Amino acid sequence: MLAIFAVQLTLAVLVTSVFACIQYRPLLFFSSGHTNNWAVLVCTSRFWFNYRHVANTLSVYRSVKRLGIPDSHIVLMLADDMACNHRNPKPATVFSHKNMELNVYGDDVEVDYRGYEVTVENFLRVLTGRLPPSTPRSKRLLSDDRSNILIYLTGHGGNGFLKFQDSEEISNVELADAFEQMWQKRRYNELLFIIDTCQGASMYERFYSPNLMALASSQVGEDSLSHQPDLAIGVHLMDRYTFYLLEFLEDIHPSSKANMNDLFKVCPKSQCVSTPGHRTDLFLRDPGSALITDFFGSVRKVEITMETINLTEPIQQTYSYVDQLPVSEIIHQKPKQKDWHPPDGFILGLWTLILLVFFKTYGMKHLKHIF
Amino acid sequence: MAAPLTLLLLVAVTVRAALYRSSLADLISERVEVVSPLTAWKRVVEGLALLDLGVSPYSGDVFHETPLIIYLFHFLVDYAEITFMLADVITAVALYLSVKDYNKQVFRKQKYALEADRYPLDCLELIRSPKEMQYIPLKVAMFYLLNPFTILSCVAKSTCGLNNAVIALFVLSTIKGNVLLSAIFLSLATYQSIYPLTLCAAALLYLLQRQYIPVNLRRFSFWWFVAQYAFMYLGSLFVIVGLSFFLLGSWDFLPSVYGFILSVPDLTPNIGLFWYFFAEMFEHFRLFFLCVFQINVFFYTVPLSIKLKEHPVFLIFMQLAVISIFKSYPTVGDIALYMAFLPVWSHLHRFLRNIFLVSCVLLACSALFPVLWHLWIYAGSANSNFYYAITLLFNVAQILLVSDYFYAFLRREHHLSHGLYLKRKDGSEATLVLK
Repeated sequence: MLAIFAVQLTLAVLVTSVFACIQYRPLLFFSSGHTNNWAVLVCTSRFWFNYRHVANTLSVYRSVKRLGIPDSHIVLMLADDMACNHRNPKPATVFSHKNMELNVYGDDVEVDYRGYEVTVENFLRVLTGRLPPSTPRSKRLLSDDRSNILIYLTGHGGNGFLKFQDSEEISNVELADAFEQMWQKRRYNELLFIIDTCQGASMYERFYSPNLMALASSQVGEDSLSHQPDLAIGVHLMDRYTFYLLEFLEDIHPSSKANMNDLFKVCPKSQCVSTPGHRTDLFLRDPGSALITDFFGSVRKVEITMETINLTEPIQQTYSYVDQLPVSEIIHQKPKQKDWHPPDGFILGLWTLILLVFFKTYGMKHLKHIF
Repeated sequence: MAAPLTLLLLVAVTVRAALYRSSLADLISERVEVVSPLTAWKRVVEGLALLDLGVSPYSGDVFHETPLIIYLFHFLVDYAEITFMLADVITAVALYLSVKDYNKQVFRKQKYALEADRYPLDCLELIRSPKEMQYIPLKVAMFYLLNPFTILSCVAKSTCGLNNAVIALFVLSTIKGNVLLSAIFLSLATYQSIYPLTLCAAALLYLLQRQYIPVNLRRFSFWWFVAQYAFMYLGSLFVIVGLSFFLLGSWDFLPSVYGFILSVPDLTPNIGLFWYFFAEMFEHFRLFFLCVFQINVFFYTVPLSIKLKEHPVFLIFMQLAVISIFKSYPTVGDIALYMAFLPVWSHLHRFLRNIFLVSCVLLACSALFPVLWHLWIYAGSANSNFYYAITLLFNVAQILLVSDYFYAFLRREHHLSHGLYLKRKDGSEATLVLK
């Protein structure tokens, strides 16, 4: 009797502990807080001599895609076409290493905003989601409040602004406000902002929304320098910061445990000449606990369970489409509009007056012709 | 006289019908010189469409016509072309009949003055004969119907044609001496656009003259007649406005129509003077200049009626000209109306001084309007100043025309009372100058 009771007790304890573990698992599962990843990669300069900005963006695109974010979750904006530019001696390629070691253009690049579509307005509309209804899904950032978003900007910039297409600019205030709009609309869980331009640190100075982490290639007053010119292609292929960032990311694989603190160490002053900066004060987690793959990859924990779960009885009665909606709504008929008619009192009053005036003017003798 | 008139009407209707069927109709109905925001046909169609959708046509800044026009075109929108041609025909026939009657009166007065020996001997050449006056009514109708301005205005289906018809009917009823009809048509004309209010004084003077009531402010009969006329006029105006209220059940036609005419919010370029001034004016001064410009239209009533109290029909002509030039949204249709009266004063041709200059300027400006518009809007190589310069010149030419006729009329009257060859006290030749 006592033994059975003891066995029951241990069984009960075992079962509750197993259940407790199972209850812990969702917490472990969602410990990073995000369920999907998005990336917005923008190159803002055009013309052949800005080849390196397109190469920057394409290298980040390549890494992000390699680490698991699908094209449907990447918004790639390139302001000019370098691969098919007339001056490209190696058409359909964009190289990031000298001696043409790495073609970041690849075979399956999907550019969402190209050429003159890369404007400040389009960029801000993509971020805030305020696009016209006819915009296709590939051009939208369909993130939700469990999305981690990586935003990478490159181009020519200055203290407080980034130049788009050599004709307009986006300011750091605008960018900060756009992120605040995204926060208010619950469009991100956490956001990593990387910018590779001259005086890039000025662009994240004005951020004020929570859960933002920012990296820049140079401080205010410093220029970001380009890495190597290629003598065959004739232009600089990459910027230093993104070159070393790409080198760092090439070592990351989907199950890597590298965290943000390693990312902050990429490209020290000795290699980059400029001083990279970062900002983590708005980020609610400890940067050491944020993995690289939280932003650059789309990593999901998958656990295989051996248990079976019984679903409840399926619903027997199925409604056909026709039964659910009134027929007129299906056929989209609008009720016929009634034409406007002047009120009867008005017509009566008007014609009475006209008749009165007529008879006053011409005398009552005309009445006998009517009656 | 009926046969030539009928022929004229047929010719005019044919010309208009031919133009309606051609491709020019669309082009003309968009010209800013021919249509204004008050009179455009597109806006009438838009207003009727809004009404069919269940929205008040006065919501928004589209429709600025009176409710009676809504009522009229609700049933006639498919026959709009015939309506406008009919309006032109009515105007021409009304002007024809009124000028015929006026000529009879002029000739009768002249006969009495001759019998009473009131004319000095040397101005016999200024006396008019029935023979020369025989074709004047036909000429008036021709001037109105075959005037390119009228044809353009009719083809564009501008409601200016309807306004002109009402004013012409007012002139006809005034000259025939019918007090009630004159008051009613005047109130209709005022109801359509506010400016014919100034014709009140001219009508009063004419009707008083016709009923042999002397224009003396101390006499009771004068004030009694004025009171009667004012009562009829204001009464019919109130009745019409009240009836318009019952059409749509709301008063929003008042700010949309009269508020629009008086406060000039729409600054689309036209052949008038308002748009350029108000486009470049500071907000602070807008009300002041608005008052100045609007008073300018009404201002000439009293001085002109004092000067021309013996000649009320000439006063009507002058008032119509002043309204056409100084109103807030003039179009060429308004100009056509007062120009139709010019054959009535054709006997003044020997005293007109600037007629060659004026006609050249008017012709040149009419030709330059579309050219400079194209250069400004489409080619981009001119700007609004060019178009405004032509507008200004056009209006100056019109003012010169009107003042020239005024001078010629007064001079003829002076000669009729003081002789054709004027002498100063010492016997040397003198001449008359309008100061």
